[in-house]
Amino acid sequence: MRRLLPLVLAAALAAPAAHAKDVLHLYNWNNYIAPETVKRFEASCNCELKQTYYSDNEEMLAKLAAGAKGYDIVVPTGNALESLIKQKKLRPIDKAKLPNLKNINAAYLDTAFDPKNQYSVPYAYTITMLGYNDEKIRELGIPMDTWAVIFDPKILEKIKGRVTVLDSSSELMAAALKYLGHSINETDEKKLKEAADLIKKAKPYWAAFNASSYIKELTVGNIWVAHGYSNDIFQANLDAQAAGRKFRIVHALPKEGAVLAVDSMAILANAPRPDLAYKFIDFMLDGKNSAELSNLIGSGNPNNDALQHIKADVKSNKAVFPDQAVLAKLEQQKDFGAKDRRYRSRLWTEIKVR
Amino acid sequence: MRWKPRGGSMPGTSSPAEGAGVSASGARHPSWQARDRGTGRWLVSGPPLAYLLVFFAIPALIMVVASFTPPGEYGGLAPLFEDGKANLTLEAYERLAGDPIYWEVFAKSVVYAGITTLCCLVLAYPLAMLVARSPRKYRDLLMLLVILPFWSNFLIRVYAWMIILGPQSALSRAVNAVVEPLGFEPVSLLFSSFAVLVGLVYVHLPFMVLPLYANLEKHDPALLDAAQDLGANAWQRFWRVTFPLSLPGVWAGAALVFIPALGIFAIPDILGGTEDTLIGNLIKQQFLETRDWPFGSVLSIVLTAIALALAGLAAWVSRPRRTA
Repeated sequence: MRRLLPLVLAAALAAPAAHAKDVLHLYNWNNYIAPETVKRFEASCNCELKQTYYSDNEEMLAKLAAGAKGYDIVVPTGNALESLIKQKKLRPIDKAKLPNLKNINAAYLDTAFDPKNQYSVPYAYTITMLGYNDEKIRELGIPMDTWAVIFDPKILEKIKGRVTVLDSSSELMAAALKYLGHSINETDEKKLKEAADLIKKAKPYWAAFNASSYIKELTVGNIWVAHGYSNDIFQANLDAQAAGRKFRIVHALPKEGAVLAVDSMAILANAPRPDLAYKFIDFMLDGKNSAELSNLIGSGNPNNDALQHIKADVKSNKAVFPDQAVLAKLEQQKDFGAKDRRYRSRLWTEIKVR
Repeated sequence: MRWKPRGGSMPGTSSPAEGAGVSASGARHPSWQARDRGTGRWLVSGPPLAYLLVFFAIPALIMVVASFTPPGEYGGLAPLFEDGKANLTLEAYERLAGDPIYWEVFAKSVVYAGITTLCCLVLAYPLAMLVARSPRKYRDLLMLLVILPFWSNFLIRVYAWMIILGPQSALSRAVNAVVEPLGFEPVSLLFSSFAVLVGLVYVHLPFMVLPLYANLEKHDPALLDAAQDLGANAWQRFWRVTFPLSLPGVWAGAALVFIPALGIFAIPDILGGTEDTLIGNLIKQQFLETRDWPFGSVLSIVLTAIALALAGLAAWVSRPRRTA
C-alpha cells in the first residue's frame, strides 16, 4: 500500500496532462500482447495504449451488444468476427494503410468469416488440443494422439478423476464431433445428439469441466490430461519448469483434427481513433513485434516474417506449428444461428445436469 | 417486556435490531413522529428509494420485457416494435414450462441453498451465542474477526479452497489415509458437490452470524436465571427460552444466506465437478455462450419468484403469534 499510494497520486495528478496525449483503446484477450511490444509501440506512436481485457469471445460480444463504447480495436476469434461483421460493428479496412500486411501467410487470409479480409487482419492463433503430464502418461503407456484419451472409457479407466475438459459447449462438442468423424460445425441434430451421448458416457471419468484453473492443476500434478488451449498448455509447462517439477506438460494434437482459433485485429465502427488503430495494426504485422507474443505465450503465428524471430523451442513444437497435412484437418468454428445455438444449449444443459 | 419478539418482520428486510425486539420505529417518541410527517421523512427515505427504483425496479422491468421479446439473431434482443406491431412472444416461457430439465436445475439449486442455510445455522448459532455471552469488551473484537474474511476478495478465498481441498493437500491426504485402508477408493474432495457446499457455507457463514449475534446479544440474562429458578435444565433453558426468542434472527440469517446461495454461479464454476451446474450457471450460459437473452431473463425471473415465494413463506411461518 505504501508503494501504491504515490502511484495513485501520480496517476491522479497526471490525469489532466494525459488527456492531451493520444490514447488508443485496445479491447484484447488477457495476456495477449508482450509488455515490451506495448512499450515500443507507445514510443513509436507517441501515444498511450490502454487495454481492457476479456477472457472469452462471448464476454466481449455481450459487452459490445450491451452498448460498450470507446474501444478502437478488438481481437475476436473467427466466429465472433463473423458475428461482429454481420452486426455492422466493424469498420472496413483500408489495406493501403497496412504495408506490412504482405507478411501474413496467405493460408490465413480470405477466410469464410471475412472474405477478402475486408474487416480484419490475422493476429495469432491457438489450437484446442490435449495437454498432458509426460511422466504419468509414459508410466501408464497411453497413446496421446487421439481424442479417444478423453472419450473412450477403456482408456479413461486408467486416468479416472485426473482429466479435465473445457467448460465450453462449443469446444467440447467440437472435440466429440471430431472424434466421431464429423465437422465441428455440424448442425445435423442427430449427429449433435450422438456427440452429446459420447460426452455423457465419458463424463463420469472426468474430474471437472474447467476453463480457468486447469493450467494450475496440470502444473501441480493433480490433473494428468487436460483438454485445453495450446497457449494454456504452454503456460502450464513454463510454470511446471519454474516450480522445478520433474515432469513436463506436453502438447498433443489429436490425429482426428481439432479446433483452430485464429484471432484477428479489427477496427470498431465507432472507434474514436482509427488513425492510431492503423498504426497499431501495421506495427503488430511487423515480424519482430508479432514474434514477441509467440515467444511469450507460445501462440501460433500466421506471420511469415515473424518465424525467424520466434525461439527455436517454440517454433519446433509441431502441435502449435503443424505441417500442412495436419493443418488441413483443423477447422475454425463458425458463428451458429440462434436456432442452432439453442439446440446446442439444450444438449449442453443436459450434459451438465444429468 | 423489552425482550419480547416483536413480529411482522420479514426476513431480509428487517434490521436485526428490530427483529431482536428493540423498537426501531418512532413509537416511543410520539412527539418526534408528529412533528416530522412531511418533508423530513422524504428527505431521509428519498435517496434510498430512488436508488432502489433506478438500480432494482427498472432493471427488473427491463428483464420482464426481455423475457417476452424474441432473441436477436446475433444475441441481444429482436427489436421491440416491428412494422408498427409490438414484437412479443411467450415462446421462452413455453420452452421452460415444457422441459423438465430446467426444473431439475431449479430443484437442485434449492436443495444446495437449503443445505447451505442449514449448515450455516448449525455452525453460526453456537458461534453467535459464544460471542453474545462473552464479556462486553471482547464482543466487538470477536465480531470483527467474524467479518475479517470480507477484507479479502471473495474469489481469492474460494481459490484458496481449491488448494485446501486439492489432492495434494494435507486434508485430502489425511482423509484418504483413513479411507483407503478401509478398502474404499480414494476420495477426491475438490471438484465435487462436497467442495461446492463447503464453499457455499464458508462464503455465507458471516451473513448468518451477524443477525443471530445482533439478536442474541439483546437477550436479558435475567430470563435464563428465572428459568433456572423455576427448575429448567440447560437444554430446556435453551430450547424453551433462548431459541424461541432468537427466531427473528434465525429467519433473517436464513434469508440472507439462502437467497444469495440460490443464484450463485462462481462457486460451482470453480469448485464443482461434472455434476454441479446450478441455476446461476445456467443463466450465465444463456447470456454468454448461447446468447439467448430472453430465455436467460425467464430463468432469472423464475429464480426471483422462487426466492420471493420462499421469503414470503418464511415470513408467514415466523409471523408473530399472540399466544405463548
